[in-house]
Amino acid sequence: MNIIEVKNLTKKYKEKKAVDDLSFEVKEGEILGLLGPNGSGKSTTINCLLSLLNFEKGEIKILNQSMTPTSYEVKKEIGVVFQDVAVFEELNVYDNINFFCGLYITEKEKRKKYIEEAIHFVGLDNYKKYYPCELSGGLLRRLNIACGIAHKPKIIFFDEPTVAVDPQSRNNILDGIKKLRDNGATIIYTTHYMEEVEILCDRVIILDSGRILASGTTDELKTLAKIEEKVTVEIEELDSAYIDELKQKKNRICDL
Amino acid sequence: MFFHNLKYALKALYKNKALIFWTFAFPIILGTLFKLAFQDIESNEKLSIIEIGIVTNETWNQQTLWQETFLELSNSEKDNQLFEIKYGTEQELAQSLENDEISGYLLFEETPKIIVKNSGINETIFKQVTEEIAETTTLYETIIQTEIQKQTNIEDFGEMINRITSKIEEIQKNPINIKDNSSKNMSYTMIEYYTLIAMTCLYGGILGMVAINKNLANMSAVGKRISISSSKKGTLLASSILASFLTQLLGLALLFLYTIVVLKVDYGSKTFYIILLAIIGSLAGLSLGVATACLCKGSENTKTGIILAITMTGCFLSGMMGITMKYVIDTHIPLLNQLNPANKITDGLYSLYYYDTMNRYTMNCISLLIFSGILLILSTIVLRRQKYDSI
Repeated sequence: MNIIEVKNLTKKYKEKKAVDDLSFEVKEGEILGLLGPNGSGKSTTINCLLSLLNFEKGEIKILNQSMTPTSYEVKKEIGVVFQDVAVFEELNVYDNINFFCGLYITEKEKRKKYIEEAIHFVGLDNYKKYYPCELSGGLLRRLNIACGIAHKPKIIFFDEPTVAVDPQSRNNILDGIKKLRDNGATIIYTTHYMEEVEILCDRVIILDSGRILASGTTDELKTLAKIEEKVTVEIEELDSAYIDELKQKKNRICDL
Repeated sequence: MFFHNLKYALKALYKNKALIFWTFAFPIILGTLFKLAFQDIESNEKLSIIEIGIVTNETWNQQTLWQETFLELSNSEKDNQLFEIKYGTEQELAQSLENDEISGYLLFEETPKIIVKNSGINETIFKQVTEEIAETTTLYETIIQTEIQKQTNIEDFGEMINRITSKIEEIQKNPINIKDNSSKNMSYTMIEYYTLIAMTCLYGGILGMVAINKNLANMSAVGKRISISSSKKGTLLASSILASFLTQLLGLALLFLYTIVVLKVDYGSKTFYIILLAIIGSLAGLSLGVATACLCKGSENTKTGIILAITMTGCFLSGMMGITMKYVIDTHIPLLNQLNPANKITDGLYSLYYYDTMNRYTMNCISLLIFSGILLILSTIVLRRQKYDSI
């Protein structure tokens, strides 16, 4: 079942097309990767999907409803983890999560439970009373994630959440995203790191200059790109009969 | 949702050290500095009786109402004597003015004219009293003319006189009277405290600007996260702005408390009206901040700079660094002071302190409400936008 459907989305900044006639869909329960270099239109696509940006042409449906700024019922099911850390510097970890979760969940007891689960999920149990300025970069990223997912959304957008993050924290983040998918969330993940989509994504869309260059599973994309591996082996002595045998396998041996 | 956001907006404001400084600490520090700087002036320069002159020509002799009013204001047997009047010819009074014996003189030709040599508080008071008398006299004349025009039958002449008398009596319930309502004499430093209150009111603009910035997707990362939530934008903005307004009122309350209890500033007896004007002034400040956030491009620091610049310039022009400036602007560029919210607040407090009538106070309040209304309408037009062309 398609949970998001995008048809012919076109967004211009002045005369430049940031997103050019983009069409794709996201299936329930999958992790879709949007891969592309800086300026390829990944974040613009996400912002259009979230109804933050005007766009010139196209149609966006989320949970079978047209997405508009006042689609509050749809918005209840959406969580976003932005590239920039979006938290209040003046509130501690617990209050930040409580505030953002409270924008979706009004029932106090339920919210309290969700906050505790979010804190535990990102591993900030020992940092509840810490203020953002007291957290390391990695912990801050975790707080940013907790604020985006605490209300247990069905659809979660991750917009380059691992930019400027150390390898260990990055692995933690990627593991967390897999867990979210395993818990039933549908995830749209934007990045410019190839290895991240390879580890994480069920399907990948490669974007450049606002257009889709290719899409499919990572294996399909590899086949499409005809990626072959070349291995060089140095051998001091080799039997002449064996050399003859190798020569017959010309299609697999480049040079002898 | 409203109260959830209100609670956290307040919490975030009270944890913001820079905002706390500008809202709570800075006005108190400045008030203390005023006290230290002006306490000598205050003790040495209590308002003395102003010496003025009146040219006793043919026209003046016909102005019964003017004569009685000035007689009342120069009555040495009363506590609130304002003027010491020297009567004479124009040449004599011009000479007295030249010798600095009087602050100015009144010359009646077709219309009353004030002749002064300098611009200062004495000259300002003299000018304002004269304007007030002129306004009231015109009012009396209008009533009489209207009644005479209505009168068609000479037999009803007595009835017409009765009507005129009763209307004038009604007006006289609010007599032309300039007096000090406070327990002490007028203080030169009061104007400094008035501008301090005006400044505190307008500093609320920073709080208003922060409230908007935190809620809009095109202004901050937090705003982006809030914008994609399932909460209604109007509810979130209203609660954030209310949090800023409450914080600002608390700042003002602290300033009043500190200046009254610690600095022993006497704001006079019209407490209710002072509080009302402070609330309206705060609304004007808040509107200024909301409008700056919505209509000006730039970072939060740039917008803070704009609000501080408007506030400090406004306070300077309304007399923070000396009452002469207020007089100079009133005389030469009156429109500037009409548009200056700091001047409206200062002038409103000033009129409460020095006048019995509420006309000037009311006009200042109305001007501030119009100022706030215009800015809030402009801001609402921008805030109604749900999507952006770029973020």
